[in-house]
Amino acid sequence: MTELEAGRAGTLAPVRGGAALGRYRDILIALIAFAVLASLPLFTGSKALLDFVIRCSAYGLFATSLNLLVGYTGLTSFGHGMFFGLGAYSFGLIMQKLGVPIPVAFVATLAITAVIAAVIGAICVRLKEIYFAFVTLAFQMLIHSTILSWASFTGGDQGLRGGIPRPAFLGINLANHVHLYIASCALLILGLLAMRQIAQSPFGYTLRMIRDNAARASFLGIDVWRTKLTVFVLAAVFASMGGMVMALFVSGAYPEFAYWTISGEGIFINMLGGVSTFLGPMVGTVLLLLLNDTVTRFTEYHGIVLGVVILFFALGLRKGLLDFVAEWFVQRRDAGEGR
Amino acid sequence: MTRTRTPGISRRSTLALMGAGAMSVAAPWVARAQAKTIKIGMPTILSGRVAQLGTSSRNAVMLEVEKVNAAGGLAGRQIEMVIRDSKGQPQEAARVARELVNTDGCELLLDGEASSGSFAVHEVARDLGVLCIHTCSEASSLTADPKQHIPNAFRCVRQGIHDSIVGGSYAAAIAKTKGLKKWATCSPDYAYGRDTTGEFTLYLKRFAPDVEIISESWPKLFQPDYTEVVTKILQAKPQALYSCLWGGDLTSYIDQANIYAMFSQMEVFAVNMADYTALTVVKNLPKGIHSGNRYIKTFPTTPENAAWGDAYKAKYNEYPTNWSWQNATAVMFLAEAAKKANSADGKKIAEALKGLTIKCPFGADGTVTMRGDDHTLVGYAIGWGTTIPQEPYVPEVKAGDWKTIFELEAEWKKSKGYT
Repeated sequence: MTELEAGRAGTLAPVRGGAALGRYRDILIALIAFAVLASLPLFTGSKALLDFVIRCSAYGLFATSLNLLVGYTGLTSFGHGMFFGLGAYSFGLIMQKLGVPIPVAFVATLAITAVIAAVIGAICVRLKEIYFAFVTLAFQMLIHSTILSWASFTGGDQGLRGGIPRPAFLGINLANHVHLYIASCALLILGLLAMRQIAQSPFGYTLRMIRDNAARASFLGIDVWRTKLTVFVLAAVFASMGGMVMALFVSGAYPEFAYWTISGEGIFINMLGGVSTFLGPMVGTVLLLLLNDTVTRFTEYHGIVLGVVILFFALGLRKGLLDFVAEWFVQRRDAGEGR
Repeated sequence: MTRTRTPGISRRSTLALMGAGAMSVAAPWVARAQAKTIKIGMPTILSGRVAQLGTSSRNAVMLEVEKVNAAGGLAGRQIEMVIRDSKGQPQEAARVARELVNTDGCELLLDGEASSGSFAVHEVARDLGVLCIHTCSEASSLTADPKQHIPNAFRCVRQGIHDSIVGGSYAAAIAKTKGLKKWATCSPDYAYGRDTTGEFTLYLKRFAPDVEIISESWPKLFQPDYTEVVTKILQAKPQALYSCLWGGDLTSYIDQANIYAMFSQMEVFAVNMADYTALTVVKNLPKGIHSGNRYIKTFPTTPENAAWGDAYKAKYNEYPTNWSWQNATAVMFLAEAAKKANSADGKKIAEALKGLTIKCPFGADGTVTMRGDDHTLVGYAIGWGTTIPQEPYVPEVKAGDWKTIFELEAEWKKSKGYT
């Protein structure tokens, strides 16, 4: 806590109370969302729907973590996919080579990602805008090339083969489709809740201040570099959670997970869903996967359809879907009050 | 009130007629419902840089499925193909494969994926237990590595190791007669390029021990400009060059190397040259490039093979590719195995496929075999020849010897720790 914050702590008490209330509301929403998702297998036998939600969990965690950088901090990373790939590979390799219980591999993967992200972030977050974007992209290509050329360890361009072993733990058997589904939902909800807390905390508001005016934040005594580095590492950790869900889903890890196209999809998801609302990327994920899954059923020219959709969002709405809806509500409310 | 019979057709006979009419219209439908169609799912690459992989595979599958359906289908059930694009992304390939089985009700899978995608689909097959025939992935480890082995997956594809053994022995014979001692290699920088080149030089040196590799180039996959690679090779002044570049990479390499008159200065061995996708695209195909056969309708030199190539060309207005014959062979295997098992059930077909030998236009001796112990295709036509700039492009192909292939393959498996 800075001196400034300490001085204002007394006057901030009612605000803190409001924040606590907000937190309880978030937890309640998270619990309800989890209950709804977890009870889904009771109502439907559709494995495709469960697969869809598992993929939504992987991409949703990834895209929302990217939004911590893009939307909240103003750091447009073009290389965020490297942490998605890193999560998938670390988890897969640990499970294949060491045969430890899944929770151990899970925590170890988060730790490995955090260390690597701290090193990469320490170099990247000194840079701004296009320079930041391109250096993150360069690191992504470095990691992708390493995966390709270190074939004896990573399996090269053929990926981690032979399946990822999924021994049961605490009565949870991730080789079972429904168990995997519930575990993915739990990870998604926990991840989203944690990211929501980060976004709504004083730290989260510091991020917004840095985004809006880094010089001002610096003059207020905030260590901008350290704050950016912290959020870079946090975002990487959540992205690697997404990567682990994907690795479990496909029972393998492939170099494509660490390729720039994954980062591109993350940015596209954020554009679709919107970056100024917390759940924007989640909405974007559902939209993109729905579009992808339906369009590829009917045509191999899905690129044209997706291109038209991008144009519609970029030129028509000029913002993501959830941003558009949120603004529309605000305008309606304001108009109502004006009357 | 007395009932009078009105002239004309009575109500009863009208009903009877209507019933008979309905029966005659419905009969084929009822019959068809009894012989329920069997859906076969196929994830493959239909968009992007290697879309030709998917389209030429799809064409060949449809060509063969029509024949099977006309002959009564798979154990009496008509085949319905459900073919979807995976964009060459393994996670999409896995997703599409799962969806094909879980949602679309496909009972069998043909996996038209390359490289990493095929391993992703392999995991889906392991998970769901559905019969899966890989039809495009040439990576030897997919079936050679016992860790990959599952009872319900087969591979109906040529293999890198087979090509290298045949190529190595063919090139060594020429090296000995022409005294080619100094060799260079130029192959794409990824697993396929590195592995295939390594295996080729291994067997080349084994058959011709005084061969020496004096220069190695590893251009990136899909590299647009090969100037520096070409000049590097020319400066090294080798007597022969080996390359496993393929498709668009190979054609742009040849077009660019032609400017430097490379092909008149050394013997060139390009394993992937003899495929219509490369042969028909190169602007000035040099005479005398040595190549392995991918698909060429003049090898094997049988009327069945020529007829198949012509039928494909007549239907799709282009020549088949290497992937085409492999996919066609997979459908032939399915049909024969279903006949043998007298069932379209995946498990029974899998049992029947083990060690099954079928008549096939692409067989070295008119037949091909699905080897029982590692579920992979053997006995297909494999050989090397030299190019001429016009049809038939590779007039004479020297066939490889399967006895040698089996011996050296067994040795190779042992050296890799697979057996």
